[in-house]
Amino acid sequence: MTYPSPRLTPERIASLLTDTDPYLSCDECFARLDEYVERRVQDPNYTDPVMSAHLSGCGACAEEADSLLELLEQDAG
Amino acid sequence: MAAERAPAPPDESWVADLAGDGPATPLALQRLHEILLRASRHQVWRLRDLLPGAGVGELEDLAQQAADDALVAVLRQLAGFQGRSRFTTWAYKFAVFHAGSAVRRQAWRRREVPLPDSIAVVDRAPTPEDITEAAQLARAVEAAIQTALTPHQRRVALAVLVEEVPIDVLAERLGTTRNALYKTLHDARHRLRSALAATGQLDTISDRSLP
Repeated sequence: MTYPSPRLTPERIASLLTDTDPYLSCDECFARLDEYVERRVQDPNYTDPVMSAHLSGCGACAEEADSLLELLEQDAG
Repeated sequence: MAAERAPAPPDESWVADLAGDGPATPLALQRLHEILLRASRHQVWRLRDLLPGAGVGELEDLAQQAADDALVAVLRQLAGFQGRSRFTTWAYKFAVFHAGSAVRRQAWRRREVPLPDSIAVVDRAPTPEDITEAAQLARAVEAAIQTALTPHQRRVALAVLVEEVPIDVLAERLGTTRNALYKTLHDARHRLRSALAATGQLDTISDRSLP
């Protein structure tokens, strides 16, 4: 009898099933990233549903957003 | 550390000096390169665990090269700066992008990129864990991967989301773009969610395990 691959961890299943609607391309995310991160620095509760959807589904863009946020916080600190 | 840096010039004059060819342009370029290098160093050091064998010199070379690449990109796209953020923030993102791409490319330089056509299932006797809700979900996801996705969607989804190949590394290997692969992932996820919703399994998990 066969069973699911051990590679299908709960984290990977969550990643496969992430809801990335509404669609935003990586280029569009990049174009909005500076303004989005500045707003997050000014208000940690600031949300942008379109950016959030993309960042939850794109590890590279999410990592870049975290890095930029860290840089701005260092500048502010 | 931040207090030791010279204050950045006002955005409007800085951008004008960069766009022009006057006596202030060399200093404007120098200041731009300084902030780009600060951002690229920051990003390279954030990701240094991806390059376990790299020494300080190699990391610095990556940061310098990324800052140089970002400088070219910023100058090429200078007319696109609309002042919706500070100029330094806008410029930083180019350095972060180029440095991140450079580190990931270097980390995968000698590695084969896996492009599986299917999930490798396990053939063995059942264990108590196999009858749990999580195991049932994993089986449903595995079935949806095989039946609901196109071969291209399956290969991209498994490479990026299961094998954890960085999306920009995969794009380079496949001769495509990060945008195109992200759209493929977006469509694949939509199909997987629809397939699980059709059997009532998406409702079961949406409150528990999805971001």
